[in-house]
Amino acid sequence: MTALPAPPSKLPATLWSLAASAVVLACIAFLDVDWAGLLGLPAATWEYGALMFGDPTWDKLPRALFETWRSISMAWLGAIGCVVVSIPLGMLAAGGVGPAWLRYGLRGVFAVIRAVPEVIIALILLTVTGLTPFTGALALAIAGIGTQAKWTYETIESLDDGAAEAVAAAGGGRAAALRWALWPAALPTLLSFALYRFELNIRMSAVLGLVGAGGVGQMLANYTNFREWGTVGMLLIVVIVATMLVDTVSGAIRRRIMEGAPSRGMDRSR
Amino acid sequence: MTLAVPPRPRTWPRTLVVLAALAGLTVLTCLPAIGGVELDFASIAKNWRHGATKLAQLAQPDLRFLPRTWVPMLETVQMAIIGAVAAAVVSVPLTLWAARPTNPNTPTRTIVRTVINVIRSVPDLVYATILVALVGVGALPGLLTLFLFDIGVVVKLVSEAIDSDRHPYLEASRAAGATQLQANRALALPQTLPLFANQWLYALELNVRISAILGIVGAGGIGRLLNERFGFYAYDDVSVIILEILVVVILIEVLSNLLRRRLT
Repeated sequence: MTALPAPPSKLPATLWSLAASAVVLACIAFLDVDWAGLLGLPAATWEYGALMFGDPTWDKLPRALFETWRSISMAWLGAIGCVVVSIPLGMLAAGGVGPAWLRYGLRGVFAVIRAVPEVIIALILLTVTGLTPFTGALALAIAGIGTQAKWTYETIESLDDGAAEAVAAAGGGRAAALRWALWPAALPTLLSFALYRFELNIRMSAVLGLVGAGGVGQMLANYTNFREWGTVGMLLIVVIVATMLVDTVSGAIRRRIMEGAPSRGMDRSR
Repeated sequence: MTLAVPPRPRTWPRTLVVLAALAGLTVLTCLPAIGGVELDFASIAKNWRHGATKLAQLAQPDLRFLPRTWVPMLETVQMAIIGAVAAAVVSVPLTLWAARPTNPNTPTRTIVRTVINVIRSVPDLVYATILVALVGVGALPGLLTLFLFDIGVVVKLVSEAIDSDRHPYLEASRAAGATQLQANRALALPQTLPLFANQWLYALELNVRISAILGIVGAGGIGRLLNERFGFYAYDDVSVIILEILVVVILIEVLSNLLRRRLT
């Protein structure tokens, strides 16, 4: 009879978790936070929650809906701009498509764009296009390129090589492989990412409202500064409902793109 | 005998409808009368030099400013870590309650999911603005914002991943007579831990990025300094801060990739 092998040592795992806990505890100990404020938070949340949602002021609803559509428009146009630029650039940055110098150059540019906060991009654009929603849409388009292009080249690189090899074997060049092998295989994922960009932009457009690009975010920030809690409550309800609506519709379309049509009349589980 | 090629499926009518819908939506978003965006490309052609000047100024970082950024940057990293860890702790039970295989009880699952969706649909800077009004200026509203944001991301993504997987081991545990709590504790949790770890690290990366903007509304960290220098038109300092954020984000990405390989 063979003896059971000795259980693997748990020492490294223990040391790692001890080190991680030490880092976290040090962070908590050395961060200059007014922890006592946390104790007052439930009472404050209750008080302001009652002010906001106890009796929301509905007379500014038409204005709120107008601004919400402005936010959605910024998000939509920003997503279009972002996708139109990042798909070709992302494809060029994928391994095996463009030359190496172009690939690393483009990836560097994407990394820099990812590190620059959207607000900074918006503040630079303000000097060109002014305090308009157009600035917001442009800022969303440019700020999104970093991540969107990264997703694009990661998608292309994770594709199966088989189809591209088949095109090459049939005598096609790089452009032919891109058009007939990589593009159709990557299209559903890229479309789904494009819709996801739209959903992200909806949230981001509120941020741009704070620097004056317009939209429901700006209105919300203004009324928070005016301490008009009834209107803030109404705006929050509008933002939450609008975002959830967009998420639901866009999510349903994304699932339809990625998983295909539901089978009709052939579902055996029923 | 020759084999007949099957006819090509007719997909162009559907493509046409989809394209028309997209074009219609785009047109609606360009109508200023109903709140759409007024496309003003002429102003770019007219004023692009202003932006180019700003970019040129940004391209000349003044590294002498670097020592003044250490303390706020450290505060940002601390906020990011504490927010991510607190969210990680809270996200475990919430996620297991929000996924069908680990919580077959429909009413409680729907409640948890609805709450998470509501939390997710409020933009992070809106949380920060309101929390600054509630608890005052400082790192605390920033921390709470990161915490709420991370919970939304982690619970949503992990519970959807659990939902879409098959879970034969949970069936086995039920056949062996385990309660749902026992099965979750002994099987579902260790099985899904890599999924969790992935999203926790992702939340940490996002936190550093977000805290760059939280300072604008007074929620602490490097963003406050960034906003202040921008207000003084000190673009050489601003670009130092942006470069520093870039370095920290890349460091955290490298570190979390290392941890990911170790954990999964």
